[in-house]
Amino acid sequence: MSTYIYAILPADRPLNLDGLQGVGKEPTALRTLSSDKLTAVVSEAPEDLRAKRRDVLAHQAVQERLLADGSVLPMRFGLVGPNDEAVLAELDAQADAYLHRLEAIGDCIEYNLKASRDESDLLREVVAESDLVRDLNERTRKNPQAQGDKVALGQAISQEVERLEKRDASTVINGLAPSAQQYATADVPQAHFLNVSFLVPRASAAEFCDRVDEMAKRLEPVFQLSLRGPLPPYSFV
Amino acid sequence: MTVVPQANAPTGGSGGGSSGLYDVLELVLDRGLVIDAFVRVSLVGIEILKIDIRVVVASVDTYLRFAEACNRLDLESGNKAPSKITDLIGDATESGAHGKTKGALSGAVEAISDSLKGGGDDDDDREPAQRKSSSGTRRTTSRRREA
Repeated sequence: MSTYIYAILPADRPLNLDGLQGVGKEPTALRTLSSDKLTAVVSEAPEDLRAKRRDVLAHQAVQERLLADGSVLPMRFGLVGPNDEAVLAELDAQADAYLHRLEAIGDCIEYNLKASRDESDLLREVVAESDLVRDLNERTRKNPQAQGDKVALGQAISQEVERLEKRDASTVINGLAPSAQQYATADVPQAHFLNVSFLVPRASAAEFCDRVDEMAKRLEPVFQLSLRGPLPPYSFV
Repeated sequence: MTVVPQANAPTGGSGGGSSGLYDVLELVLDRGLVIDAFVRVSLVGIEILKIDIRVVVASVDTYLRFAEACNRLDLESGNKAPSKITDLIGDATESGAHGKTKGALSGAVEAISDSLKGGGDDDDDREPAQRKSSSGTRRTTSRRREA
């Protein structure tokens, strides 16, 4: 029977898995597999496991519970080992690497921040900054049939948008990075210019959130920040 | 700002609500630790997530959309001056490196030159760039990692 793995944590950590259920249509019971130094939280892997809402939520709920009690290495959703013995063998074989990872993360949690900017405002800045865009904008407004000019205008805007979004992104990151231990950027979702996760010491999480809040207040309403956390350090393992 | 509920309870873990699931889906599905020798369940059927990731802006369709949005700008918003992020929150790359006095001064200079340049009429309610002094601000090294 194959084994679904949720997380790896130090073996000497007390665990409270009461009331939690594993993934699967018929929820599986959570249990632990421990080597000398590490514990893996696992359950039986359902035969037909897919990334259903219910299952992703179950995976995430386990992470949140474990995170409440200390540092943890969260597994990506859907990781399945051939059996318990193989998981235990992996814990033994890679013990040093996992312990090192746990130590590096320390007592830190992840916060994910996404940022967007009102598009009209962004375009007004593009127009203000670029002579070429202003010129092409005038021409295409007077002559809406000029497809070539329109494409050239769009291309020029696109380049400026990229530059300004990059600047906006690094300004936001630089404003928050001093309150975090590390950060990791990721693919930016539609209509946003920034998707970044910060690794924040638990002890200063409130300070970090205040800093985001203060920044958000200054940026509104043109810029919108959306903060999600605390999360297990998905982006830093 | 949208703050997901448990953001103000850093040590709590009571969440698990489904309202914010979408926000963390990419983290749960795309990040987190993997063990190379083990298999992952098929994610077939949830590629829909990926569609939402922004396509590269370099396409003729995008160019034309930008061009038309730009053509329409004045009709929608008149001559409203754009916001500049560094005016709103300061250029944080300089925080700590310069004293507060210099920060406040150059902030004011920027605000003035902006209003001269743009002829902006709504600058009055904007705050000049503010810079934090180094006191009370912890500097830790941050490492950039590409996901």
